[in-house]
Amino acid sequence: MMLPMMMVVWRLTPTDGSRLMVQIVFVVAAVMAVVGALGVIGSRNPVHAALFLLQTLFGVALLFLLQEAHFLAAVQFIVYAGAIAILFLFVIMLLGVDKTEDLEVEPIAHQRFLAPVLGVALASMLFSVFLVSSDILGGSPQFDSERTLDSGITDIERLGRVLFSDHAFAVEITAALLTIAVVGAVALTRSNKSKVKMTSDE
Amino acid sequence: MFPSTMLLATDPLLSEPIGQVDLLLMSAKVLTAFAFLLVSVMLLIWFERKLISHMHQRIGPTIAGPWGILQTLADGIKLFFKEDLIPSNSDRFVFKLAPYLSLVPAFLIFTIIPFGGDFNHTSTQTDPAALGTVTWRDHATYLQIADPHVGILLFLAMSSIAVYGIMLAGWASGSKYPLLGSVRASAQMISYEAALGLSVASVVLMTGSISTHDMVAAQAGDGFAGILPNWNVLATGLVPFFVFAIAGTAELNRPPFDLVEAEQELVGGFHTEYSSIRFALFFLAEFMNTITMSAIIVTLFFGGPAGPVLIDSIIGSDIGWAWGVLWFFAKLFVFLFCFVWVRATLPRFRYDQLMNMGWKLLTPTALLWFLFLSAINIGDSQGWHRALVLAVSLPIMLLAVVLIKQAAINSSRTQEQEHTQQPLDNSP
Amino acid sequence: MIDLLAFARPPIDWHAAAPELTLLACGALLTLVDIVWLERAKAVSATLASFSLLAAMVPVVTLAVDGTDRAMFGGAYTVDDFSLVMKAVFLLTAYVVVLLSTDYIAKGDFWESEYYQMLLSAVLGMLVMTSARDLVTIFIALELLSIPAYLMATWHKVDLRSNEAGLKYYLMGVFASAVLLYGMSLLYGVSGSTMLSDINATISNSQAEGLLAVVVLGLIFVVVGFGFKVSAFPFHMWAPDAYEGAPTPVTAFLSVASKAAGFVALLSLVFVGFWDRSDVYQPLLWLLSAASMTGGNLMALRQTNAVRMLAYSGVAQAGYMLAPLAVAGESSATADDALSSVVTYLAIYAAMNLGAFAVIIAVARRTSSAEIDSYKGLFRYAPVLTVAMTVFLMALAGIPPFGGWFAKFEIVLALLSPGTAWGVVLGGVVGLNSVIALYYYARIASYMWVEAPPDNVQSSSPIKVPASVSAALILTGLVTLAFGIVPQWVGHFTDVSLL
Repeated sequence: MMLPMMMVVWRLTPTDGSRLMVQIVFVVAAVMAVVGALGVIGSRNPVHAALFLLQTLFGVALLFLLQEAHFLAAVQFIVYAGAIAILFLFVIMLLGVDKTEDLEVEPIAHQRFLAPVLGVALASMLFSVFLVSSDILGGSPQFDSERTLDSGITDIERLGRVLFSDHAFAVEITAALLTIAVVGAVALTRSNKSKVKMTSDE
Repeated sequence: MFPSTMLLATDPLLSEPIGQVDLLLMSAKVLTAFAFLLVSVMLLIWFERKLISHMHQRIGPTIAGPWGILQTLADGIKLFFKEDLIPSNSDRFVFKLAPYLSLVPAFLIFTIIPFGGDFNHTSTQTDPAALGTVTWRDHATYLQIADPHVGILLFLAMSSIAVYGIMLAGWASGSKYPLLGSVRASAQMISYEAALGLSVASVVLMTGSISTHDMVAAQAGDGFAGILPNWNVLATGLVPFFVFAIAGTAELNRPPFDLVEAEQELVGGFHTEYSSIRFALFFLAEFMNTITMSAIIVTLFFGGPAGPVLIDSIIGSDIGWAWGVLWFFAKLFVFLFCFVWVRATLPRFRYDQLMNMGWKLLTPTALLWFLFLSAINIGDSQGWHRALVLAVSLPIMLLAVVLIKQAAINSSRTQEQEHTQQPLDNSP
Repeated sequence: MIDLLAFARPPIDWHAAAPELTLLACGALLTLVDIVWLERAKAVSATLASFSLLAAMVPVVTLAVDGTDRAMFGGAYTVDDFSLVMKAVFLLTAYVVVLLSTDYIAKGDFWESEYYQMLLSAVLGMLVMTSARDLVTIFIALELLSIPAYLMATWHKVDLRSNEAGLKYYLMGVFASAVLLYGMSLLYGVSGSTMLSDINATISNSQAEGLLAVVVLGLIFVVVGFGFKVSAFPFHMWAPDAYEGAPTPVTAFLSVASKAAGFVALLSLVFVGFWDRSDVYQPLLWLLSAASMTGGNLMALRQTNAVRMLAYSGVAQAGYMLAPLAVAGESSATADDALSSVVTYLAIYAAMNLGAFAVIIAVARRTSSAEIDSYKGLFRYAPVLTVAMTVFLMALAGIPPFGGWFAKFEIVLALLSPGTAWGVVLGGVVGLNSVIALYYYARIASYMWVEAPPDNVQSSSPIKVPASVSAALILTGLVTLAFGIVPQWVGHFTDVSLL
């Protein structure tokens, strides 16, 4: 799914000759992201896979920067690279699965044959869809004035306004979502109730 | 010119077509900052050793150079010529990569620090974006390498990247103690990042911007009653500053939070297997982080380079900006001193104490205070009476504190019971 | 200082949001009580949870009496007849699930008050889902109802099968979320808005013709993403294992409420978001529906475990409910028929499926098993439960006078009303499948009535059914019978419109 997305970003990136730098950065970022994504699938060592994931995240953050989505780029670093990928590594290290996996066993029947076939089928479908539609993607649809990049409103401000007006309900309810996820995770990781009879008297 | 560039408060240098002079200025700024960091790390290590020695009633380094000031240089040269060992059990590529992942963020954080310039509103400029500029041959620029739109978020992003350096160093060494050290480190740094981010949020709330330049500009004016400075440390009511300072120390893995490299338990922690120049890089990164963290504290809470301009020109040339540099480094020095002082004073935390403090004390405090500040902020903008806002929010805060306290007591009680009852039944 | 005055706070209709807010407040209260009281909180948590659900029912009723459609946040959150009916269905379903859980959870080896917190927040997500009319809100609601469900499926921690259930459900669920998000991002990319009404306006106008391929892809991904949630064939793989391994009350909740929530999202997407693109979604849903009915029923035939059988029967039921959507785009009259037939089916399905699970829970107290063989001779020692089970099974099969026939009748009516060949053929598929389904429902019934009890089941004394489970049985039985015998009295509740 990486490649079609790259195509779209390429289309939306200003391509007039004066912005050669933008194109160079784009190519670097795109190569970073795609190579990283391939590396995640290809590497046999889980820690290396996590590092390749990190590389992809950096590449995508760069693409965000090219689109002048500065805040998203920063959040990509802080949340994905700084928290989520770290947790992956943390779990890999704590569980001690830092050895190459046993690739002889095939947990689901015919998996090894089906995976590439279906993968290639999906990829070619996505490719054809984006090739068919890419002519029209160059001329972007009508955006309202606040959404254009040089409207004088920073991306953070725009994001904040949207989040706390149209999506205010979703934002607020996310608080409940996160809280309950924490409660559930803690309850699941705690040792079992039968072993711990809790008393609150005295 | 685009109106956006003014609103975004980017460096005025970059808002015009970029010419050779601009490139020269940029390069000069980058080189200055780079050289400054390297030299100051050298001096800081010497300073720390010397100061701690005196606090311990010892003498410290005396041989190399006057007052031993070249000691670090000598150590560095020695490290450079030592044999570079790579353990056979290690993951070679990651092992080599890790020190750079530590070092590069340390450099990058410094790019967003405004370290000079005249931020006084009384100067000819009143536009906030023009505050703190230095003009050279008609090219106005900030004394700050970059003022990215994401501002202080770059600091948070880089400190999350810095975790990788330590984590991967420990893992790639292929040995038990470094792995333990790095797992400790990552848990500790992630835990304290929450408190760190929340206290930064308080500052952002007061400033209304996440650009470091705007933060300094907002702190420059006259403060309370015309005597106290308008610094965020007072404007945010002290609490975020203390939370930030403690969490920042933990983020640096400095004593009393240096469980990562607790010598008695973990040999040398994550860098046990490192030697020669790679070890030196970790060392460099650690002290550089101390400097940048102090600089961030100064910028966020103590007005950065903002301060009075006593003499604004010498022989006709404007030197107002130089006072900013002076004030900045004076404040920076105070915090560096404090870091060393804390190290000499406090014993190391136990691991559970560390986690309890991060999750049960600092994070809730920072969050509560942030909500309190927002309540006041909203009250002011809606024109509610300040006393009414306080009368409502203080009891709610008190209730929250009581509940958190109760939950903490309950959880520690159940933990005790779990430990006493553990061996009862092991059948599935 | 931020200039807060420059930002206008979006107007909030507190009455419209009252059901969710009530539930949220009660959930928070439950958590606080648990934190402060610890063990003593266990005794009250089930009571508190059931009262929370009933309390949330109050604003639903007042909103229904008031009767005006309300919209907040630029239309992202809408309260109309459809959402109110579904809110009521979800709250009552959850109430029955609490009744089923009370005894089961208290006796078993479970974290108790956390369980009810999970349940309440999942219901909260479902309530939000009924009102969500934009992609972001739909997605957050989906996660809010899914994450507690994943956790609840693995709540019986000492049981490996429960762990397996939770893990499978979780992995397939997040995979489905990823597919869904990819589809949503494509739709947003085409339309530049997350509001369903804007999406409909953009993807149906002629300018988007060049982007048709992207629209199709987005629609397919979104429908497939929810296909997992409603466990439609061939995206049902998680369901049998998850249902079998999870604690039985949780299974009841998953098979009814979770599935219904997926349908609610699918309905608002199809009727508000994709409405004018019937050329895309109709064939897709036609295939999905026919495959689910046939696949689910054929696999249900081979099951030896009642819970697994109900899981596959749930796949088939999802197929019936998808069927009207495959013809919904013909005209707005058809759409109204289709929508109310699905809502009717959801309500009836909730009652009869929960009833069947109530009997399974009651019987498992004696036999400790959900194997179909263990139902042999049930009539000899538990005649009332046998009658109840028969009622629910016959309702699921669609035999009059039990509720299911009315649901199927409405579906077939909606399929035939536009008079297209596709609709007629699908109606035929529904009929054929009802016959297949009768076989495996009737098999259990004949085991219960005719065969002798197996030796390992102690069959001399009647089964003691806890009061709460009896209440659940009575409640679901009454609803099932009411819809079957006097559909004209209750049917108008589900007569709603989204267009």
